[in-house]
Amino acid sequence: MTVSLTLDNVSAHYGSTKVLEDLSLHVGEGELVSLLGSSGCGKTTTLRLVAGFLQPTAGTIRLGERDLTRLPAHARNIGLVFQTYALFPHLSVRDNVAFGLKQRGVGRRERIRRADDMIARVGLEALADRHPANLSGGQRQRVALARALVIEPPLLMFDEPLSNLDAKLRVDMRVEIRRLQQANGTTAVYVTHDQEEAFSISDRVAIMNAGRIMQLDTPEVLYSKPANAFVADFVGFENMLKMRVVAEAGDAVRAEMEGGATIDLPKDRFAVPGRDFLLAARPEGLLVVEGAGAGIPARLGLRTYLGRAYQYQCDTPGGTVTANGPLSMPMEQGTPVSLVPQPDQCCLLPVEA
Amino acid sequence: MPRKLRPWLLSAPALLLVLLFLGLPVLSTLATAFGDPKGPLAQYATFFNSRFRMTVLWRTMEVALITTAVSVVVGFITAWVVAQAPARMKSLLIIAAVFPLLTGVVVRSFAWLVILGKNGILNDFLLWIGVISEPLTMLYTKGSVIVAMIYLFVPLMILTLVGVLEGIPQDLTDAAASLGATPAATFRQVILPMAVPGLIVGSVLVFTGSFTSYATPQLLGGERQMMMGTFLYQRAMVTFDWVGASTIAAVMVVVTLTTVAVMSGLARKLNPVAG
Amino acid sequence: MQTRTHPLLVAFSVLVFFFLLSPLVIIVGSALSDTSYLTFPPQGLTLHWFQNIFEISAFRRTMITSFTLAVGGTALSMLIGIPAAYALARYRVEVPRFMGNVFVLPILIPEIVLGFSLMKSLATGMGLPITLSLLVGHALLVLPYCVRVVGASLNNFDFSIEEAAVSLGCTRTKAFFVAVLPNIQAGIIAGFILAFITSLNDVSVSIFLTGPGVSTLPIQLLAHMEQFFDPTIASVSVLLMFVTVAVMAIVERTLGLTFLTK
Repeated sequence: MTVSLTLDNVSAHYGSTKVLEDLSLHVGEGELVSLLGSSGCGKTTTLRLVAGFLQPTAGTIRLGERDLTRLPAHARNIGLVFQTYALFPHLSVRDNVAFGLKQRGVGRRERIRRADDMIARVGLEALADRHPANLSGGQRQRVALARALVIEPPLLMFDEPLSNLDAKLRVDMRVEIRRLQQANGTTAVYVTHDQEEAFSISDRVAIMNAGRIMQLDTPEVLYSKPANAFVADFVGFENMLKMRVVAEAGDAVRAEMEGGATIDLPKDRFAVPGRDFLLAARPEGLLVVEGAGAGIPARLGLRTYLGRAYQYQCDTPGGTVTANGPLSMPMEQGTPVSLVPQPDQCCLLPVEA
Repeated sequence: MPRKLRPWLLSAPALLLVLLFLGLPVLSTLATAFGDPKGPLAQYATFFNSRFRMTVLWRTMEVALITTAVSVVVGFITAWVVAQAPARMKSLLIIAAVFPLLTGVVVRSFAWLVILGKNGILNDFLLWIGVISEPLTMLYTKGSVIVAMIYLFVPLMILTLVGVLEGIPQDLTDAAASLGATPAATFRQVILPMAVPGLIVGSVLVFTGSFTSYATPQLLGGERQMMMGTFLYQRAMVTFDWVGASTIAAVMVVVTLTTVAVMSGLARKLNPVAG
Repeated sequence: MQTRTHPLLVAFSVLVFFFLLSPLVIIVGSALSDTSYLTFPPQGLTLHWFQNIFEISAFRRTMITSFTLAVGGTALSMLIGIPAAYALARYRVEVPRFMGNVFVLPILIPEIVLGFSLMKSLATGMGLPITLSLLVGHALLVLPYCVRVVGASLNNFDFSIEEAAVSLGCTRTKAFFVAVLPNIQAGIIAGFILAFITSLNDVSVSIFLTGPGVSTLPIQLLAHMEQFFDPTIASVSVLLMFVTVAVMAIVERTLGLTFLTK
């Protein structure tokens, strides 16, 4: 059974502080959508609203045709995987996995059979009689996953499920999670603060800030075409330079930056004559060329070694920017250079009010 | 049940028990003390003008303060040794401190009757080694009450301070040593300041405990060394002077609460972590 | 900490522990003495005085009263203390600060004042039977222990375990019983047993609420001591020390005795 999840203009408060504002979100059937953001952005609140642990002050939450908004948490039938795993310490692995089936009135025989099946699917058949205290982090994670999956929920939700694992295991487990989710075709919501994790696992990612979704799109679009300065900064466009179009010629515009230097850029919907816009660039999107040239005039500052490149702090008339230079040609502090924007590693953004 | 009301409904029975059966009766006692027809402070005037009552109050203060001071010193040194003992030894010592703590006040005070009596062990011993030729009168003196009180409260102080001293991370003392502090300097400048809140908590427990005690002064002090607790009981149950007893109760409550308030304020101020 | 301890401090502590334990050893010794007066070291050994406890009906009666009272008062206190401790731990954000302090009040108010006030208001004022007043007094006396010890367990409890149970289909009430309760069992047992011994040993509250006919063991001991000074008191004390040992064993097996240093 696959269904979609829809949040319509949902708001939530903690006391008098607003934590979610008019949030709307649609997760399609069998789709995995991640909610990505730093702590306090509202991603966990959103998950807890859908799970029923919090009540929205406005808006509706629907799972397929079913309105969940006023339904108590225990009646929602949503599979949850918690950050702390939240395994029942007093129950064995088998009883943990069978717990949800027991609540659903499944007979003892049948629920042990189904629990053991699911335990085998996550590769823990040898540990079914152990208690959670005697499992490793990765094994606990698998039990938590099995426990959420065995009730065959129409919706699976993950709350930072990998944050307590070490780096190597995190990569293995996220592949495992994706595999199981796709095999069952279950609709899923995945909350994380780890960009790589979200991008690698999701069909679409919602980047959140201060209780709002800043952009919801596929990882590819988010990575190359952020819609605003917040998302651009989040996905690694470290440099933001404020500019204004002063001339237009064919497919290009001439923009003037603060401090008076000008630069030619390809035309873009945000680069309109007379309006300010932002040039966002990753460090590798600003090519460091020795001497004066077609780019942004700059003077090299501190150099650091990244392994794949050198990184320079560069003083420009518009402020300090970070740019990468080739390993073959280390340059000294104080060298006058020009920084040439590389179109595939830069983007133009509107200036926000 | 609605989420907002849940914590209130869950704690309602306990809140009611405390408010109805502790709050109201104690308030009524205080009201009795203030409710004298001659004016709200008339009872206190009587109390503070009475030579006898003031003697009892000062004696109780004196006993409680000496008990607290001795317990702090003895408790701190012992807790320090316990905290540094190897794990096995440490648990044994903690057991040795918990055992008297969990043994009743009557039993523990009774032990000192056996020790300090006219025909008690201490007199027998002193006579035997020939230090004295006549048994000494040790019971029903201020000293016997103080010794028994110290005996009563040292375990509490030890256990409170062991927890505090164990909570000081070894990294801190190591860091102090690496910066050139001698063990004495580390103790004075790192360990002692960090133990201050615990010392204050322990002192408050011991002071209020000994100030309001009943069984120990009753058994070891008797009529002659009347203290606030025994005085309250005597007024209430022997002479049936409930107004007088209420006044004693009010003085005890005021002293206790003031001590707690002042000392916890001090603890907050001296807390090295909160600044 | 691994700094070396000064031998003088160690010697001092040895004396302190001698001071703490020898009076209890003396009680045990004098309980076994074959004399009609209290003496130590015992002269001749006998268990006669232990037998004597059960022959004196006042001891028999008050022992039963004390145990019943300790179990009943603690049970009552737990029954209302557990939900309160749960509310304090689970709704930490929503619950106002003063609420936690209310449950400390029975510790802040001097016990002897509480006993006197209960006698005045409940037993005399409201005409409540003495046994009922005693029960209320003891429930109040031990409430802070129940709330605090159970609360300590709850503060270590990961409430997402409870939410996991709810997400798997349990109602809130059921989730408490199947997911929370089994995991705070140790705290409840330890709290119960600490409250039990507190109630069993109480003098200051009980002294006002006992009368002819109804008394507790410590009060009876006090009364007995004022008239007789024979080894029976010592043997009752030894009996009470056995209870202490049992209590310590249970606390050690549940939360561990180091819990008492926190």
